[in-house]
Amino acid sequence: MNANIRRALFQGCIVLISLHTATAVAGSPTSTPRRVASLFLAADEVLVAILPLDRLVAVTAMADDETMSNVVGRVPSSATRFHRADVERLIALRPDLVVVSEFNDADFLHLLGRSGLRTHRFEGVHSIAGIRRAIISLGRAVGETRAARELVARMDARLSRLETRLAGAPRPRVLYWSSPFTAGSDTAIGALIECGGGVNAAREAGVTGLAPIGAERALAIDPDATLVNAPDEESAPLSRHPSLSHLRAVRQGRVVAVPTRHLVALSHHAADACVFVAHALHPDRVSGVVDD
Amino acid sequence: MIESRRRGIVLLSLGLALACATLLAIKVGSVSLPPWAVARSVLDRFFPWRLPGAGLDEIGEVILWDVRVPRVLLALLVGGGLAIVGAALQSVFRNPMAEAGLLGVGSGAAFGAVLAFQLGWAAQIFFAAPMAAFVGALGATLLVYALSHLMGRPSLSRLLLTGLAVSAFAGAATAVLLVATDEYRVKTVLFWLAGGLEGRSWAHVQSGAGFIIVGSLALFALSRPLDVLSLGEEEAASLGLRVHLVRLTILGLASLVAGAATAVAGSVPFVGLVAPHALRPLVGPRGRHLLPAAFLAGALLVILADVASRCINTRIDLPLGSLTAFIGAPYFLLALRGSEGRE
Repeated sequence: MNANIRRALFQGCIVLISLHTATAVAGSPTSTPRRVASLFLAADEVLVAILPLDRLVAVTAMADDETMSNVVGRVPSSATRFHRADVERLIALRPDLVVVSEFNDADFLHLLGRSGLRTHRFEGVHSIAGIRRAIISLGRAVGETRAARELVARMDARLSRLETRLAGAPRPRVLYWSSPFTAGSDTAIGALIECGGGVNAAREAGVTGLAPIGAERALAIDPDATLVNAPDEESAPLSRHPSLSHLRAVRQGRVVAVPTRHLVALSHHAADACVFVAHALHPDRVSGVVDD
Repeated sequence: MIESRRRGIVLLSLGLALACATLLAIKVGSVSLPPWAVARSVLDRFFPWRLPGAGLDEIGEVILWDVRVPRVLLALLVGGGLAIVGAALQSVFRNPMAEAGLLGVGSGAAFGAVLAFQLGWAAQIFFAAPMAAFVGALGATLLVYALSHLMGRPSLSRLLLTGLAVSAFAGAATAVLLVATDEYRVKTVLFWLAGGLEGRSWAHVQSGAGFIIVGSLALFALSRPLDVLSLGEEEAASLGLRVHLVRLTILGLASLVAGAATAVAGSVPFVGLVAPHALRPLVGPRGRHLLPAAFLAGALLVILADVASRCINTRIDLPLGSLTAFIGAPYFLLALRGSEGRE
C-alpha cells in the first residue's frame, strides 16, 4: 500500500471518528428520546396518552389549566411547567427531545438546535386528518409509534360511531363567532363544526382561516346555529349583542357555548369536542355531553 | 479644561457602568449560574491562566455561551446603535425629538416582519423575520427619500413630513396584515413588535454586528460634518459643506444601523431619544463627544432593561420595548417640564 493511500485511509478514519463523536454528542436523531419536553398544549395531551409519564420532563403550564386543558391532574408534579419558552430552563432540563408547535419561529428552533437540543414540530392540526398525522408523527419521534397508532385508532373509532349516529340527519349551517372573528375553511374549529354534524357556514361564505367578518356579514350569512366560546357567552351573551341578538339562530336559542378546552383541542381530544358539538346540534341522535 | 475633565469623567463612568451591567446581565437569568464558575468560564475562554475551584458543567457552559452571552452582546449593540443614530439625527434635524422612526425605519421593519410571520416564512425559514424586517426598514427609508425628492432637493420639513406619511402608511398596512394573521400566530407577532431578545442566537449577533459597528464608526467619523450641519443648512453650505451629500450619507448610515438593530430586536423605542438627550448637557453637543457617550448610555440602558425584562416576572418575558418606553417616556416628560420651566 503506498503512502498516499495509507494517508487517505487514515484521514478517512479520522473523519468517520469525528462524525461519530459529533453525532454522539448531539444525540443521534434516530435514538429513542428518554426525556421529552413539550412546549405546546396539544402535544402535552398526546404525550400524556402515549408516553410513560416518567419520560415526560416538561409540559406547558396550560396543562394544569382547567379551562384550557384536557389532561388536568394527569401530568406528574415532577414534570416542569413552562409558562413561556424559557430557553435557559429548557437546556437545564437536558431533554432528549423538545416538542414545539408550528407557531414557534425558526429562529427559536435554531437556538435550541445550537444548544444541542433536538426538536419535533407538532404541526398541521387544522383538521381531523391533520391531527391524526401529527399524533402518528409525534409517536414516531418519541419512539412510541404503536401507542400513537392505538390512540388514533381509538379516536377514529369514536368519530366513526358518531358519524354513524349522524348519518342521514339534516346538517344545520353553523357559524363560529368570536367578535368579530369567525373560522372558515382550513381551521380546526371549522373541522369541529363539520364532525359535530354541522355545515361550516363561514366556509360556505368563502371565508378562509380565522378571519374578521363583522356583525353585518354574520347577519347576512344567517346561520341555523352559532358556535361560541363558553366563557365569552357567559360574560357577554349573544342575546344582548346590539346587532347579533337579531340573528335567527340567537332568537331561537340555538347558541352552542363550547368550553374552551374543546375549542382548543388539537389532539385526540378533538373527538370529545366533536361529540359535545354533535350533542348540542343533534340531541335526538347523540346523548350525553362527551360520551358517545 | 473643566469641561474636558467632566467629559472624561462621564465617559469613564459610563464605561464602568456598562462593564458592570454587562457582567450583571451575564450572571442573571432564569437558571442560576455560580458567579465564580461564570468568571472562570469567561477567563478560560479568553486568557491562558485558570482560576481555582469548580467551573460550569456542560449545561451551564451551553446556557452561558449559546444563550446568555449572545443576548447580552445583542442588547449592547442594539442599544448603542439606536442611541448613536438618535444623536446623529438630532444634529441633522436640529431637533432633540428626532430619532430613527422619522425615517420610517421602525414602521417599515414592523411591516416586513409581520409579512414574514403572516406568510409563514418566520416559522419555516431561519432568519426570515429579521431579514424581512431589515428589508422593510431600508425599503421604507428609500421610499421616504424617493418621495421627498420628487420635487427636487427636499427641505428638512419635507423629509420629516414624508417620513411621517410613509410611517403611517406602513403602520396601516401592518394592521391589515395583523388582522389577517392566524390567531395562534398573533401572539408571536405582537411579541416581536413589542421588542425583545428572547431566543436570539450568535447568528443574530453576527448579522447585526457588522451593520451596527461599521455604521456607528462611520457616523462617528462624520462627527465634524454633523457639528457643521447642526448649525443650519445655509450656515453649513457657507462653510463649504456639501450639505445634500453629507445629509444623505448620514441618513443612509442611520437607516442601516437602526434597520439592523430593529431587525434583530424588534421595536425598542425611546433609546435613540433618551440617551443623547440626557448626555448632551453633560458632554456637550459636539459629535465626537456626544456620539460615543450616547453609544455607551444606549447600550447601558438596553442591557439593564433586558435584565429587568428577565427578572421582574419569571413567568413571562416582559417586552424589552415596553420597558425602555416605561423608562424613556417619564424621563422625557420630566425633561420637557424642566425645559419649559427654564423658558
